[in-house]
Amino acid sequence: MKSKFLFPYWCRYLGWGLVLLHVPLSMLGRSHGMINIMDTQPRDQGIFVGEHLFFISTTLIMSAGLFLVAFAKEKIEDEQIWQVRLDSLRWAIFINYLVLIISLVFIEDVPHMLELNLWVPLIFFIIRFRWVIWRLNQSLKREA
Amino acid sequence: MKNTIRVERAIKNMTQADLAEAVSVSRQTINTIESNKYVPSTVLALKIARVFDKPLEEIFILEEGD
Repeated sequence: MKSKFLFPYWCRYLGWGLVLLHVPLSMLGRSHGMINIMDTQPRDQGIFVGEHLFFISTTLIMSAGLFLVAFAKEKIEDEQIWQVRLDSLRWAIFINYLVLIISLVFIEDVPHMLELNLWVPLIFFIIRFRWVIWRLNQSLKREA
Repeated sequence: MKNTIRVERAIKNMTQADLAEAVSVSRQTINTIESNKYVPSTVLALKIARVFDKPLEEIFILEEGD
């Protein structure tokens, strides 16, 4: 089965590495006051100020990591994996829009909604996809 | 849809892993097909039938309500 538009298998580990890297980086940034998540408006205006650059780079690291994890090939790519992937994507989009619509109605915090929109589909997709594969492996073990 | 893959495998003395390798899918896929949890694509069904040297209809059988 030809799998187009997927990263090689090792990208998954690179992706997890980036996600893990994001944690100490953003904590460091927060403890040094470089980013303040409660600020909805940046104090300094402009794209190339330190605060904004730091925020962008950490966010980029995190989303690139999640993206690589989500769209890396499996060891054996076959049609069932494709179906699980498609199904998980559908669920992720469902959940994302549900969360988005609910937060549109009840929350007025637009910048955080953007952030939510950035993470929810990828994270939910990864959880659902991994969970189904884990269940498949479990049923295989039970058979053996 | 039900199938006779498990029986055919026993006749040919093949494990799930052997069959999986022969049709280049994962063992999980063969396992879910055998337990009727997953319906394979036409291409995969034809490949499986070819491994067993049997016509498709002898391996995959439609059920009432399909």
